[in-house]
Amino acid sequence: MASFDVMPHIELYKPTELADALELADRLGPRGWLLGGGQDTYGWFKDRAKNAEAMIDLNGIEALHGIRETADGIEIGAATTLREIVRDPLLNERFAVLPAAAARVASPQIRNVGTLGGNLVQDTRCWYYRRGLACYRAGGNLCYADSPQGMNREHCVFGASRCVAVSPSDTATAMVALDATMVATSVDGERLIPAGRFFALPETHITRMTTLEPGEILTAVRLPARWAGKRFYFEKVADRDVWDFALVSIAAAFDLDGGNIGDARVVCGGVAAVPWRLREVERALRGRAPGADTGEAVAALATRGARPLNYNHFKLPLMENLVRRALREPA
Amino acid sequence: MNIAEFKRDVWGREVLLGVSWDLLWVIVALSFAFIALHAIGMAVLGRRGPKPSSDGPRVARHAAVDRAFHWIMAVSVFVLLVTGVLPIIGIEFAWLTIHWIAGLVLTVVVLFHIVRSLFWLDLKSMWIAPRDLKEPFDSSVKPGKYSLAQKSMHAAVTVLSLLVIGSGLVMFAMIDTPWWNRTNALSESTLGWVFFIHGLSTLLLIATISLHVYFGLRPEKLFYLRSMIKGWVSRDELEAHHDSSRWSAGESN
Repeated sequence: MASFDVMPHIELYKPTELADALELADRLGPRGWLLGGGQDTYGWFKDRAKNAEAMIDLNGIEALHGIRETADGIEIGAATTLREIVRDPLLNERFAVLPAAAARVASPQIRNVGTLGGNLVQDTRCWYYRRGLACYRAGGNLCYADSPQGMNREHCVFGASRCVAVSPSDTATAMVALDATMVATSVDGERLIPAGRFFALPETHITRMTTLEPGEILTAVRLPARWAGKRFYFEKVADRDVWDFALVSIAAAFDLDGGNIGDARVVCGGVAAVPWRLREVERALRGRAPGADTGEAVAALATRGARPLNYNHFKLPLMENLVRRALREPA
Repeated sequence: MNIAEFKRDVWGREVLLGVSWDLLWVIVALSFAFIALHAIGMAVLGRRGPKPSSDGPRVARHAAVDRAFHWIMAVSVFVLLVTGVLPIIGIEFAWLTIHWIAGLVLTVVVLFHIVRSLFWLDLKSMWIAPRDLKEPFDSSVKPGKYSLAQKSMHAAVTVLSLLVIGSGLVMFAMIDTPWWNRTNALSESTLGWVFFIHGLSTLLLIATISLHVYFGLRPEKLFYLRSMIKGWVSRDELEAHHDSSRWSAGESN
């Protein structure tokens, strides 16, 4: 594969009003590229693995920035940086799992410019795909990762359908654990999408990671008050502590009722193309007190139905151990 | 407009991906145009004679098992087209499992039909013979059990079904199923050809089936549809449209 030292020619738009960005996104459709912090963008373009006629830089739009308290929780603009999320006192007080997840994204330099929206909609890290091979996700007819010689240590154990890529987003798992609502805006208006349906499995959307349509912009994320101040846990296991993607991560939210778990969300990252809710674990937790015994009792449920690939069987005990740790040490 | 889609791989080589789905709209437009022109032509120029009666003695045309085959095949092809084409035109849903289950149903019933045709049915009644070619030009030449149009339709559906089933089975081996894990053993270019054959035969099936449904619903041919549901035509219908000397049909209850 040829390598390039410079970026290709791309038109750059820097709108300052959301309406202008929406009009551009509508006009350009799939020929346009929405730019947040750019940390996932520039590599694609520099390698010529993806091309776009124009980039729409969203960072100059004031309405997309900031963390606001609303009648039903908190709204976070999609262009808010990960650093701002990590340091926000309101989020740390009420939804600590999100700052904890954001704090584990990449490195401080990347968190300074990386945006929440960009982190949520970033593309998968499957290197066959990112290298520009004509795999299923790139519109081709096969999966290089799930083949006898395929290197699939980082790939999925759940939800495969031809493609075995995983979502690399750390904040996505927290969003699903918090029952967040994603606000997708287009020239036709707003569309509210529950986080659980925002991320897309390959069985329905094999060439994209989310259900955002061309012309739509993720403008905000809403965290419902229903989970404010509950007990949370986030942990990410990666090969390196800094500047690496999760092999497996876990985001959990526990609503305690008299010392026992009334409702729970337990979500794993790095195991599917979407943040993967461990619904059997969540059901089994109802009525139990958090602790090591409960963790031990439910851990095996985390991997029920998993289909590991040649080189990622290690993710199964990792998932089970993260469930044990989440129940042993919820914040 | 291209017939096939290609992608340039990371080594700069052109790789065949499959059929160009832009052709779908061409096929739909051509099919619709043909149907509209035929319907208008028949309304303006069509000969209107006395309609044969459906009363009176009945003649068995299709056994129950063959009618069951026809309708099971029809349903499975419909499901295959819906699950195969809708995601391509932007209506995305979890289609793959439904698609391959319907494909397996189609494969089984087609195999059954082949075996039954070879050993239990009159295979020659569906073959196109030289004298059949006179039918469109000489109104005194009546067909045996099947008209030239019906035989042609059957031949087209046979070829296209076998192509779509054959290529579909190769693709089936390339995905995970309850019985095996995929091997991904075929090269990109081989898979490209398989996807091309599958896609092209699907497009041609859409045209063929559109015509089949249209002709099946035409007023003067509704008795064929009834025979595919109930199994019989009347003696009067048989005499009007067929040469009974070339079709030794038995009386039916």
